[in-house]
Formats: sequence, C-alpha cells, structure tokens
Amino acid sequence: MEFKEKLLSSFFALQEAVLLDDNPLIEDRRNQAFKTFEEKGFPTRQQEAWKYTSLSPLLSEDYVIFPSGDVGIHPNDVKKYFLYEMDTYKIVFIDGVYSPFLSNTHHDGFDVNLFSVALNQKQHRRTIDTYFNTIAPSGEPLVALNTAYAHEGAYIYIPKNKAPQSPIEILHFSSGDSPALWLQPRNLIVVEQGSEAQIIERHQSLVEHPVVTNSVTEIYAGKNASIEYYKIQDDLDSASLIDSTFIHQETHSHVSVHTSSLGGKIIRNNLNFHQAGKAINSTLKGITVLEGNQHVDHSTLVHHAQPHCESHQDYKGIFRGSSQGVFNGKILVDRMAQKTNAFQQNNNIILSDKAVCNAKPQLEIFADDVRCSHGCTVGQLDQNALFYAQSRGIPIKEAEALLTYAFANNVLESVSIPFLKKHISLQIASKFGVEMGFGV
Amino acid sequence: MLRIENLHVSVEDKKILNGIDLHVGPGEVHAIMGPNGSGKSTLAWVIAGNEDYQIEEGNLLFKGQPIEDLDPEERAVQGIFLSFQYPVEIPGVTVTNFIKTSVNAIRKARGLSDMPAGELLQKIRKTAEKLQIDSKFLSRSLNEGFSGGEKKRNEVFQMMMHEPTLSILDETDSGLDIDALKIVARGVNEMRSPKRSTVVITHYERLLEYIVPDYVHVILDGKIVKSGDKTLAQKLEAQGYDWIKNS
Amino acid sequence: MIPFQIDISLVNLRNNDYSNYSYYCWRIQEIKGQKMAYTEKELQEKLETQEYQYGFYTDIESETFDKGLSEEVIRKISARKEEPPWMVDWRLRAFRTWTKMKEPNWANVQYQKPDFQDISYYSAPKKKSKYKSLDEVDPELLETFKKLGISLEEQKRLTGVAVDVVVDSVSVATTFKKTLEEKGIIFCSISEAIQKYPELVKKYIGTVVPQRDNFYAALNSAVFTDGSFCYIPKGVRCPMELSTYFRINQAGTGQFERTLVIADKGSYVSYLEGCTAPARDENQLHAAVVELIALEDAEIKYSTVQNWFPGDKEGHGGVFNFVTKRGLCHRRAKISWTQVETGSAITWKYPSCILKGDYSIGEFYSIAVTNNHQQADTGTKMVHLGNNTRSTIISKGVSAGKSQNSYRGLVQISPRAQNTRNFSQCDSLLMGNNCGAHTFPYIESKNSSAQIEHEATTSKIGEEQLFYCNQRGIDTEKAIALIVNGFSSEVLKKLPMEFAVEARKLLEISLEGSVG
Repeated sequence: MEFKEKLLSSFFALQEAVLLDDNPLIEDRRNQAFKTFEEKGFPTRQQEAWKYTSLSPLLSEDYVIFPSGDVGIHPNDVKKYFLYEMDTYKIVFIDGVYSPFLSNTHHDGFDVNLFSVALNQKQHRRTIDTYFNTIAPSGEPLVALNTAYAHEGAYIYIPKNKAPQSPIEILHFSSGDSPALWLQPRNLIVVEQGSEAQIIERHQSLVEHPVVTNSVTEIYAGKNASIEYYKIQDDLDSASLIDSTFIHQETHSHVSVHTSSLGGKIIRNNLNFHQAGKAINSTLKGITVLEGNQHVDHSTLVHHAQPHCESHQDYKGIFRGSSQGVFNGKILVDRMAQKTNAFQQNNNIILSDKAVCNAKPQLEIFADDVRCSHGCTVGQLDQNALFYAQSRGIPIKEAEALLTYAFANNVLESVSIPFLKKHISLQIASKFGVEMGFGV
Repeated sequence: MLRIENLHVSVEDKKILNGIDLHVGPGEVHAIMGPNGSGKSTLAWVIAGNEDYQIEEGNLLFKGQPIEDLDPEERAVQGIFLSFQYPVEIPGVTVTNFIKTSVNAIRKARGLSDMPAGELLQKIRKTAEKLQIDSKFLSRSLNEGFSGGEKKRNEVFQMMMHEPTLSILDETDSGLDIDALKIVARGVNEMRSPKRSTVVITHYERLLEYIVPDYVHVILDGKIVKSGDKTLAQKLEAQGYDWIKNS
Repeated sequence: MIPFQIDISLVNLRNNDYSNYSYYCWRIQEIKGQKMAYTEKELQEKLETQEYQYGFYTDIESETFDKGLSEEVIRKISARKEEPPWMVDWRLRAFRTWTKMKEPNWANVQYQKPDFQDISYYSAPKKKSKYKSLDEVDPELLETFKKLGISLEEQKRLTGVAVDVVVDSVSVATTFKKTLEEKGIIFCSISEAIQKYPELVKKYIGTVVPQRDNFYAALNSAVFTDGSFCYIPKGVRCPMELSTYFRINQAGTGQFERTLVIADKGSYVSYLEGCTAPARDENQLHAAVVELIALEDAEIKYSTVQNWFPGDKEGHGGVFNFVTKRGLCHRRAKISWTQVETGSAITWKYPSCILKGDYSIGEFYSIAVTNNHQQADTGTKMVHLGNNTRSTIISKGVSAGKSQNSYRGLVQISPRAQNTRNFSQCDSLLMGNNCGAHTFPYIESKNSSAQIEHEATTSKIGEEQLFYCNQRGIDTEKAIALIVNGFSSEVLKKLPMEFAVEARKLLEISLEGSVG
C-alpha cells in the first residue's frame, strides 16, 4: 500500500520539522501510536467493523500530508458556512492550518484555543497529559495514525461551573491548493464539573479535489457537565471523512452528539461513549440523507460501565441514487451496570433501486436488571401518504421532501440551537431541490 | 381471624405505619379509608408479605398464629388473598393457565391433589359468567393490555376462584365504571359468609354503597385515627379528611 | 388457549392415548401410573432432580472404528455402508475440501477446539443383516428404546408417528413404513436411501448445503454415517408427523448425521427431531447437516427439541453442537423452522431459508435456554432472492447461570427481489448477573421495495411479577418457570402440540437452580 509507506517514511522527518514535541510523554504516545499503525495498517473489509465500508478507493491518491498553509480565503467566500456573525467563538482551519483572520478564539476564564498551542504551552500540560490519547483507545489503527501526526485542531477547555455564552464553531476548509490532501485534525475538549458547552463541527471543501480527513476528537465531560456536539457533514462528493469521536462521561453528565450526514464521498463516523459514573445520560442522534454514490457508515458504541445510566440512539437514513448507508450500532452493558436504560432506534428509507442499506444493531448485555431495546426498519415512504399529499395539490417532489422531513423530524427536533435547526432543514430541502416552506 | 397489634412498618428506612391496631373477626367486612400516602396500601402489602416492607415493631396474627415469618405463598396457602391495586402483567401466560397453576399450587400445599381439569374448567366458566367475563378474555395474556377495569375484574375473578378466608381489596374500585363496580361488588358479596372476612381499602365511599362494611377505619399518617360504622364513611365523603385532621 | 391445549393433552393421556408421542414417550410412560401427567407434584419432582435426566449409557455391543480421520477411514465408512462409487467420490471430494479449510471462530463462543484425529467416525450397533421384524433386533437395543419410550411394539400399535431412530449415527429401525409407502412417501435412513433411491439422493444432496459451505458441513459431507431421508411425492399431505430421534451413545464418537427432506410440488410434511446424549465428562462432537427442499407450493415444517447433554454444573463435558441446517424454497413454497434449544455445551446453529422462488415464505421460531456454563450462538439467515418473498423471525433467548446466549441473524434482500417483507423480533431474558445476552442481527437490503422490521428487547423477571405469583400461592421456582413459559409462548405454540408439552417441561428443567 503506497500511501501507507508514504505516511510511515515521512513520520520521523515531520516529527523533527513540524511536530517539535518538547514533552517526552507526548513523544512517547506518538511513537507508540506510530508503531500500532505500522503494525496494523489501514482497516480492510475482512475486519468485522469494516464489513460494509472499504477505504481502498481512498488510498490510491498521492496525498499531501502537511500542506504549507499560505492560502488566504476571503471571508465572503466562506461566510455562508458560518452559523453566526464574526463575534462568536470560532476556530477556523484552511487546509489544516489555523486561520487567525477568520477565527475568534477565547482565552479568558475558559479556553477556545488551538491544539498546537495547548500541546506546547506549560499551562495546558496537565490537561494534555491527562486527556490526550487517554480517552481514545490505543489499538485502533486510524486513531493511532492521527495520534502519531496529531498537531493541529481545536482545544477547548471549560473549567468548573462555566458556560460560554454562545456555541463554539470548529470549521475546516480545504482550498484546493493541493491536488490531493490528507488532513488529520485532532480535537481535545474538556468540560469540567458543572460546566456546559455547545460545539458545532464542520468540514468543507471549497472546490472539487480529493480530500480525506482522518479526524479524532476526544471529549471529557466532568461531573454534572453538559455538552451538545453537532457534526455537519455536507461536503462535496470529492471529500471523504473518517471521524472518530470518543467521549468519556462522569457522574450525572449529559452528552449528546448529533450528526447530520448529507454529503461526501465516503463518511465513516466512529462514535464511542464510555460511561464512567452513575446517572449518566448519553444521546446519539443522526440524520443521513444521501444520493449519487455517497456512502455513510455510522458505527456507534455505548459502553454502560456503571449503574443507573441511560442512553438513547436514534438514527434516520434516507437513501437515493446509488448511495449506501450503514448503521452498525452497539450497546454494551457491563455486569456492574444494573438499572441501565438503553434504547436504540435505526430507521431507513430507500428511495431508489440502486441504493443499499446495511444495518447491524447489536446488544451485548451482561447485567440482568436492565431495559435495553433496539429497533431497526428498512422501508419506503408511505405510498398512501404520498398520494394523499399529491391529491391535495402538492407536487410529488415536494411531497417526498415533506414526508422525508416528517420521517427525520424527531431527530431534527432534538437540535436545540434554532439557527442550526433551520440550517439543517434547509440543507435537507435543498437535497430534494425544493423550497422549504414548512416545519421550520 | 386477623389481629394486628401496634404494627410499625418502614420501607427503605422510611416509616410508613406508626402503630396500627386492627381486629377483623370471622364474617366481618372492614373498610379502611384514608387520603393518599396515609399507609393504606402499605398495610395490605404487609399482610400479604411483601419483603420490601420491614416490620419494626408489633404483631401480625392470622387465625391466632403469627405470620411475619411466612413467605407470601405460604400466607396464600393459609387463605390470605390480596387484590392488587396495580395488578402485574405476565406476558404469554394466559389467565386460565395462571389460575390453574395458582389454584393447584395452593391445593398441593394444603395436601390436596390437583383439581381435576374438567372441574376446574367448569368452575372457571361459572365464575366468569358471574362476573360477566367474556371467555376470550380467559385466553389472553395475564393483565397484558387489559384496561384498568379488566384488571380489577380479573383480580376479583381470581379471588372467587381461590375462595380465600381473608380477602384484602386494595383500591379495587378505581378504574371501574358503575356497572362494572356493581358486578364486582356482587361477586364480593356472594363470597361473604360467617367464615370469611374482607378488608376493603378504598379512597371513596362509592364502593361501600355496594359492599356494605361492618366497620370503617380511617388511617392518617400511618395510624388508625377513627373507627366507626358505615355512617363514618358517609361523613367522610361529605366533609373530607380535613374534618378528622382538625377534630 | 394454551392451558386448554394442556388440558386436552391430559385427557388424552388419561385415556392412554399416546398418539403422536415420539422420543419422549418414556417420560409419559414413567408417569402413566399417576392420574395426571402434568401435575404440580411431578413438576416438583422434576425441579428437584437437578442433574441431566437423560444421562444413562446403554451397553450395546457396537462396532466402533479406531479414532482418526483419513481418506482410508472414509473409504472404510463407505465400504461398510455398501455405498455406490459416486458416493465414495462425493465424500472424498468433501474431505479434500475440508482439509483445506480452517475452523471458524467468528461465533460468540469459546471452547477448546476438538481434535479431529481423536474422534471415532463410525460407531454402529453390531448387526449384519437388515431386520425383518423386531425379534431380530438386539434385545439390549430394544431395552434402550424402552428406557427412551420408543418401544417399537407400542409405536406400531399406536397410530400417528413414524419414528426413525438413529443411535450413534446409524439408523436402526424405521416403523410405519407401510402406512407411508401407500402414499408414496419415502421415509428411511439416508443409507437406505442411497441404496434404494440413488437418483433422488444424487439429485439433491449437497444442493442446499454445498460441501464447501463451511468447515463442519464439509466434515459432515465426508464422514456422515447416517441420518434420515424423506421424500413426499407431488400433492401428498403427509398424514402423520415424521420424527427422528438422535442419540449419541458410545464414548469418544462424533455424531455426523445427514438429513435430507424433499417435499415435491404441492406436498406437505411436518418433521420432528429430538436429541439426547448420555452424560459424560468429555466433550462430544455433533456436526449434522440438514437440507430441506420445498418444491413449488410445498410446505415443510421442521421442529427440533435439542437436549444434548449440556455439561455438568462446572462446565465439564457436554456436546458441541455445530449444525448446518438450510432449506430451499421454490415458488410459493414455505419452510418453517421451530427449535427449542436447551442442551449442548456449545450450540452453533443457524437454520436458514433460501427464498428462491417468488412468493415463497421462510419462518424461524426459536427458544434457546442456556444455564450453567452453556454457550449458544444461534439464529437464522433469510436470503430473499425471489419477488414477494416473506420471512418471519421470532427468537427468544433465556440466559441463566454463567451462560452466554447470542442471537445472530442475517436478513438479506437481493437487488432483484421486489416487494419482500421481513419481520424479526429477538427478546432476551436474563436471570442472574453472571450470564450474558447478545443480539447480532445483520440487515442487508439492496432493493428499495423491501420492508424490513427488526426489534429486540432485553429484560429480566420483575420482582413485582414474582410477588404477584407468590401472593397467589405459587412459589418462586414455579413462578419463574411460568413466566419463562409465557415469555416463550409465541414460539411454543408453533410446535406440534405434544412437542410443546415436552418443551415446556424441558424449559423448566433447564432452568433449575438458576434462581439465586
């Protein structure tokens, strides 16, 4: 595998030229991770977790791994991707390089900062040492690859009992300056006891060119902390994303992750929750609307390790064209985790003959006093409802959009930021080529 | 029949009953009334033997013998029947199957052989007719998807099948419309005999118009604060519990 | 409705009407002296006897090959069975395939892999000539049957079930042939079928489960020593339940039976299969292959009550049950699998349906109960190839003790299969906190007109349910049996009635001592 060779051979050079670790602990974690990737390489479909998604179409390009970052972008070109005006918190990257001009970071009372800064500044060392690469599992080759190269991304640290007044946006743009680009952003988000955060993450190509983002995000939610995390995946068909997000939750914390997968070539979302305290609530929501040859694979794991916790998963998929949807969700309940209440729902609608849907909703239960259930359906839009709408004068295209919107609505309803909810609604409407005149 | 002396009971270290005294003689019908949370249902659970309820102090005697150490099924064998306020659903087990299993379990514990299938079926049918229970109802899963009224009727149905010596009816009237209430009351009244006793726990006086009690007791804060005859129930209905609290 | 079923069966028993009882007759005989068959007392007795109840070993003089597997052994098996040359070749092809295959390890089970050279591949009750009448049968064998309740005299006298008994892989006797022959139904051992109906066997064997299908299917194809064969001619509705009884008797033997059922156009058959093995502290291997072929408009109902020795409470011994069962449905045909799995140390089994013909139907109803150290990984595959095909999956798992119970299933809709439907429901019940319940459903849809629904739940027996039963005079052990029976009732009612009564008792026995 050529690209793997390139990654391996350039690692040491990059370590000396770019990464410049002065923290031996970090250097050690990097070297360990590098070894893991060297041994395991990219996952293949022979592995159960990758049964329905092949990365091989992505591995033939000659990707640039560390672009120069001389590219400037005019705010007007990217304004439409921002949810808020410029005076809110934003961390913006162009081709993986921080853009101070487009960003609005924060350092007073809490940190909305850069991962590269946190990695090298003494004041952040404790947090980095404690959390960096300790929430993510060590054996995953793609995570290991990211760890080996971890350099840039968002670093958000909210100390005890603080709540930023507005959501924090993390935006990655690719300019098309490099013919083919391999990005590996690394985010670390630590929300301490009693604090809150709302975070929106987006990856966006500005022109058609091959981009693969191998992103890793580690999230720590302290006691009573509350985090809402939104992932907007609506990229061009030339861009692929492998997103691995690992969440560690302490007692009484609430974390919800909401993923809107609306565009891209191959998207793989690995979303793992580890519940390390009591009375934790984890929520996973997803809306997937695909067309063409788009491929989205949601792979979730909720690990209930302590008693009296809850988890709710609700993923809706709508597949058109020759698109492929995968849902591979797992609920794992340890023997310790009595009184767990775990719920998982995956509903899919296939709207074309060539679209494919694969689902594998799994339960692994080792405790007896639990309530766990999953439901999974694959079907079509209700033909009677379509006919009803048409008979009331709604054209078929709008009727389909309306019913699809209704199908996805309870997931959409869980988006608590009104701007964002409207934004996602409009995106879905535009997928169907209709004006959104309803429901928002 | 039933003799309760200075009974103190707690649940998860929270005290619910604070010294109840109650004597129910053979053939008597006692009504126990009181506002929500006064301890009425706790009394029922304790008599039936729910292990969550800890007896801190006092005596619980049935037919002259202490029953505190008996398992719930042993008390059932002794002839105690509790009609649950919230009957439990057991999916896949039909009403008939459940009744057959329970009736024969009790017979066995009493050293009797099983009731012959034919006899049992006949008794089931007769009793069902009295309570105007549709035969289709008998092959449904126990309490699963039953309406509130159906569940209560099913409890009385089981009571009539078991022919207990002490019946405790815990809020059996809730969820019943007036016609169903009359049918259920008729069933209970039919069971009345000099050998059987009944304790009716209720919130409202309405049921007591159909099942006329010999004695009425009022529980407040885990204690019987007033006892009397059926006129006490009428007075409560008219004036509410505040009247007792204030007096 | 179920209790009435039980009542009816009671009445039948009291009238000494044993029709339709097959391998579990011995139990009914055992209690014949009593007035009722299904009394509390009897149940209580069952509940008190904790150990595996079928654990007797019969001292039958048998011919057992030396341990080990090679082409020579296969030739010897084939020669001993006087098989035609095509069969030898077929076996050898399978053996060569098998030697190149690896033992699978994807199932959610852990065990010491068997040493395939430490197994004897042929063990048969010694006999040289075919029986003309029961008098010719080894008296000790007849004694075994009496213990098992498959008293052949009685079976012949009664109407209803034709029994084909397979002891250590060799079919020893088949009754009721005459009745069946009149209808043109063939029901015999597969060995006999190879001799007498080679064209039918040749045409169908290995067509649903190819030799190379999987490791154990290949092994079975190479070494199978016996099994049952059944052919129902066009338009014939088989008037009785056909039943096969399997038993592993000899120590150190593997059981590799092969079952082939062919239901010709428009025919119907209900087939029952029961399994037991003596208690031994070593592991025994059972690697069977069952192939069902339902031609146009035919229906096959295949019921199994599997009660192989599960090992003792510490997890020693027990049968490794690695079975491949698959049916092929032609146009408008229907195959219905029903299984009650209470035995075996390890179960690895996925009775499946290939819904090839348009409008064909596949069903799978399963109860798997695991206790102590048992491990079960079982489920089904429904492969929808034809248009308007339908499938239903109802799976109930009960885990107790230190056992692991997994459902693994696949629903696959091929791109050309229009208007297909599937409904799956997998419910698990956990008893105690040292066991596990797992659900691994795979759903693969490549057609936009497919309607697939999958539901799964996990729960435990509620404290309130137990208290309610206690209050009505039912003790806790009995209450659990009652609740588990209720939990399983959707599947139990798919079993032929007599089997259902037996299955209910098996469930209760399997869960003995599981209440902490």
